[in-house]
Amino acid sequence: MKAKILIVDDSSLSRRIVRGILESAGHDVTEASDGIAAIDSYAVEKPDLVLLDLVMGGMGGLEVLQKLRESDSEARVIVATADIQSSTREMAAQAGSRAFLNKPIRREELLTAVNSSLEGLDL
Amino acid sequence: MISLNERQADALSELINMSFSLTAAKLSDLSGQRLRLDPPAIASHPIIGLGTELDVFSSGEVVSVHQAFSGTFSGDAILCLNSEGALKLSNLLVEENLPSPQLDISAGEILTEIGNMLLSACLGVFGNLLQVHVSFSVPVLHRSSFEQFLDLLTVSGTEMRHAIVIKSSFAIHENGPKGRIAIVLSLNSLEQLIQAVDQWDTEFQERVLKS
Repeated sequence: MKAKILIVDDSSLSRRIVRGILESAGHDVTEASDGIAAIDSYAVEKPDLVLLDLVMGGMGGLEVLQKLRESDSEARVIVATADIQSSTREMAAQAGSRAFLNKPIRREELLTAVNSSLEGLDL
Repeated sequence: MISLNERQADALSELINMSFSLTAAKLSDLSGQRLRLDPPAIASHPIIGLGTELDVFSSGEVVSVHQAFSGTFSGDAILCLNSEGALKLSNLLVEENLPSPQLDISAGEILTEIGNMLLSACLGVFGNLLQVHVSFSVPVLHRSSFEQFLDLLTVSGTEMRHAIVIKSSFAIHENGPKGRIAIVLSLNSLEQLIQAVDQWDTEFQERVLKS
């Protein structure tokens, strides 16, 4: 399965780590370093999946998630954050995320969440 | 003066240790190097005199990652290291064979993200414990003298008069850098935290007795 995945994170370290894992699994990856760029990139690239950080300068991840889901109710989004609070997990789920991962991200849990989130797509 | 007693400090230490252990294990996976965070020692202190608690950094540059947090429980969370320790920690996650000889922009960004992970893990424990949502700001890296660093702490606001200081060491190879995390918060927030720790400890003891 080869999917087009958009990574949204203001940390280049986190983007590099996630890109490495996803590309090694055969996926095509694009990146955005803030919320506005993420929304623009989503409209242009039409990725199959978005991997989204929550704490970012400017537009926060939850707002990005809400806007993506408003523009495309089928948008598939995985939240990846250092925030371990159960309340944050619940907020992300309510906003429509398909999975919630805590940083630092492990390869196995990322690929499991990606595969699960891509289920039903004809790739 | 309100402060954590031995039992409260022990309970909070155990909660944070669990969260740190998970974060350290994941960082080890990423870096391919054994990384351990020693069990933290925790105490609360008035903000005046905090310099003594952090005097391991009193010579040379202090590198600190600050993450403000807000909500029912608010304040400023800070990870601090000396410059040598900061460089060692950031070099853990640089690409192979490209360790940085100095704390440049790239190394600083890596350190900021490591700080974000550790501080969020720590604050997340507080949020889950208090059963309140804590909102985080974007983490910011500061490099300063020890005196400037103390100024950064003491100008946080008139209500920010206490700090929870978490002392831990990053064990990397044989000789890892020592780090400190300080959670600067208001008296009201400290009181709430202590009450929540007591409640958690009581409930934990009850569950142990029932099982």
